Amino acid sequence: MLSETVKRELKRIVGEANATFAKEDLLCYAYDATNSSYMPDAVVFPSGAEEISLILKMANSEGFPVIPRGAGTGFSGGSLPVEGGVVVSTERMRKIIEIDAENLTALVEPGVVTWELQTEVEKLGLFYPPDPTSLKFSTIGGNIAECAGGPRAVKYGVTRDYVLGLEVVLPTGEIITTGVATAKGVVGYDLTRLLVGSEGTLGIVTKARLRLLPKPETTKTLLALFPDIKDAAKAVSAIIKAKVVPSTLEFIDAACVKVVEEHAKMDFSGAGAVLLIEADGSAESVEKEAVTIEKICLENKASSVRAATGKYEVKDLWKARRAISPSLHKIRPDKINEDVVVPRASIPDLIAGIEEISKRHNLLIACFGHAGDGNIHVNVMYDKKNAVEAASAEDAVVEVFRLTLRLHGTISGEHGIGTTKSRFIEMELGPAAIDAMKRIKTTLDPKGILNPGKIFPNAKGLERAEFAVAGKHTQ
Amino acid sequence: MRKLVELKQELDKCVKCGACRSVCPTFRVLGRETACARGKLTLIDACMGGEIEMSEAYLKHLKECTLCGACRDTCPKGVDTVAVYNAARVDAVQKLGAPIAASIVFKNLLESGRIMDVALKIATRLQGLIFKDGTLESGLLSRFALPVIGKGRLLPPLAREFFLETSEARGLPVPAKTGQLKVAFYAGCGVNYLMPGVGKASIEVLRKAGADVFVPAGQVCCGMPAFASGDAAMARQMALKNIEVFEAFDCDYITTSCATCGHGLKHMFADVLSDSPELEKRIEAFSAKVIDINALLVNVLKYKSAGKETGGSVVTYHDPCHLNRAQGVRNEPRELLKSNKNITFKEMAFPCSCCGLGGGLSIVNYDLSIEITERKIKSIRASGADIVATACPGCIVQLRDGLHKYGVNARVAHVVELI
Repeated sequence: MLSETVKRELKRIVGEANATFAKEDLLCYAYDATNSSYMPDAVVFPSGAEEISLILKMANSEGFPVIPRGAGTGFSGGSLPVEGGVVVSTERMRKIIEIDAENLTALVEPGVVTWELQTEVEKLGLFYPPDPTSLKFSTIGGNIAECAGGPRAVKYGVTRDYVLGLEVVLPTGEIITTGVATAKGVVGYDLTRLLVGSEGTLGIVTKARLRLLPKPETTKTLLALFPDIKDAAKAVSAIIKAKVVPSTLEFIDAACVKVVEEHAKMDFSGAGAVLLIEADGSAESVEKEAVTIEKICLENKASSVRAATGKYEVKDLWKARRAISPSLHKIRPDKINEDVVVPRASIPDLIAGIEEISKRHNLLIACFGHAGDGNIHVNVMYDKKNAVEAASAEDAVVEVFRLTLRLHGTISGEHGIGTTKSRFIEMELGPAAIDAMKRIKTTLDPKGILNPGKIFPNAKGLERAEFAVAGKHTQ
Repeated sequence: MRKLVELKQELDKCVKCGACRSVCPTFRVLGRETACARGKLTLIDACMGGEIEMSEAYLKHLKECTLCGACRDTCPKGVDTVAVYNAARVDAVQKLGAPIAASIVFKNLLESGRIMDVALKIATRLQGLIFKDGTLESGLLSRFALPVIGKGRLLPPLAREFFLETSEARGLPVPAKTGQLKVAFYAGCGVNYLMPGVGKASIEVLRKAGADVFVPAGQVCCGMPAFASGDAAMARQMALKNIEVFEAFDCDYITTSCATCGHGLKHMFADVLSDSPELEKRIEAFSAKVIDINALLVNVLKYKSAGKETGGSVVTYHDPCHLNRAQGVRNEPRELLKSNKNITFKEMAFPCSCCGLGGGLSIVNYDLSIEITERKIKSIRASGADIVATACPGCIVQLRDGLHKYGVNARVAHVVELI
């Protein structure tokens, strides 16, 4: 609970209209896309770094948690106020400050919606590649905090690869700038890289200098249907092996195909798996790559390969692809949604292994995702009201993680750890590595006021977070 | 209609993914979670569960919505948000009394019959005192801050002669048995009180298209404004009255040039009257005949413009939410416009985004409503069009007001006036 003095001070810092303690407002800043809910004590809408700095200084002196929040669309609980406290929303900080077409950079505030930045830069013939599925509503700030990726990562990398520098308010209130506005820079430690993907535990980003690319001349979208999922997985490896780098290489398994067919009224002839492949670049190279990709798919027993015609069909395909995750609930009431990554050549082994786990536990495991970069969204479907099923779903997840690590993969490619996966990070990171991370956290945030209860197992507040996973968690 | 408690499953369907944030016109302006569907559903759920009271803040958030339905369209879980909002509004009215969007003037507009007409007639003569001439076209700026009409707002003048009283409307005989399609025309308040010209143009184009059209006397307001403000009881009375008026005639189609009325006649009537199972067959027969005028002209009458002079060159089209999303009519108005060789059709960006008028928002929160309109006006300006066509008198009022406010020199017309 916040004292009346703290509340008064918060109002003074951000202005009366930009601080709220009303239950109606708090309820709407209590959740994120994990569909868990924890009530904050206040929500503030600051205008920039100075106000956030004052809030964080007060948080240190008064001892209340501060939780940064973009659009609240994360899948790992990064913006959940698990210990209450003050939610700092970036919703008022939504300016694109500058698009520098000469130096191929953009300077933006954290509340800018990713898609809106992309639309603006594309008007100038430029390109901001990171494309998380939530790009139409998630924000740059959130994308940076979670190091969001997306289908284009196979060719263009993830958010990390496009952040040149940041303006950040440290947990203790100092405002610093990290990185550079240039193509290179090696002065001091690379704090930019440390902050990207730190899930809002090491600082609050208030401005970001992003790297842009020239917009590819053209894009071609291919749709390949496979009767057998294993052949689709082999085709993915074969495409990579053939030294073709598509701009996206998405994989959709039979369960997801069914959901798409029903939800988006799209006919995939009940395929066992679908690959959605895009090539971009000059018209000439795109045509050449498309021919190679088609050939490889057919060699790997695709039943049909065709190009999407007209931009509406491409749009429909992507709309359908983006609808998979939230639509999966139509199969079973609940799902545990993981985003493991394996080296690309190991995709067939991962798919085969998951199939085996699925059979053994008698649970449907729906898989889709960015096969091109080895990142598969594994959705263990179950009904949480059925205790036996819920328990084996948890077991299945652990087995998927073990399998992933055995294949030299990682347990989260782009969603982050947050509250939903903190129990598992010890499976991947050794105690010394975790200890080093904790020391970084303690150095920057000695009082542990910034986004507590995230990433680390046994962190303060984790019991409640675990309750979210086992109990309220329905994602 | 389904009560709020019966819609609990819709609330439970929401997984808080946040996709609604990308399309909500109110959220775009307010930038707060409470404005988007995910927030509203959370609040409605909390209120149902007794976690919060039906507070001022709750009602405020409930009203910050144009009921445009964009969130329902984009929701990957298919939550019927609009049904939930409507039910929540009705629920609030039932528990608290007065319609949440009502004011005396607004309520009067909904009541039909001679008294209202006479009152409005007097107002027509007095409006020279109340309004002063606007700067752009036939609208008038309100001179005084009326209870519901904000100062500086551009509103069309009340018609000197209401459409339903014009010779064009009254002089049409009820068709006898002919080989032609018999079409009953439903005017609606916008056309009747504010834009009789749209009514006359509708009749003219329907006749040119070969329909035997007539205008049943005694028709009243469709009840959509009452329904949006949570007054389901009043909407119910109006629905019943209109069904009685129209079923007295033998016709093939019932058409209207108002998107909102069309949605009301086709869908809302069945909704508000669903508590009377004995009416089911009558409502079904009625609703089945309702068709928007654009759809009737294109899909049934195969009408093509003979090349009417429009007085402009580039025409763009704004999709009314109640036509595009609520009735699925998107291509027909565009086809009609493109069939006129004197029109260069140019699509604007975001043609389907809400104009800002709906859901009673322009009455309960005019500032927010007209701020939503700003994006639309930017799209219109960027399209370079000098005529904005649309198919709903409500949108016409809002777009004219917005063009005036944001200083864009374009004319707004109903599709039927341009073909």
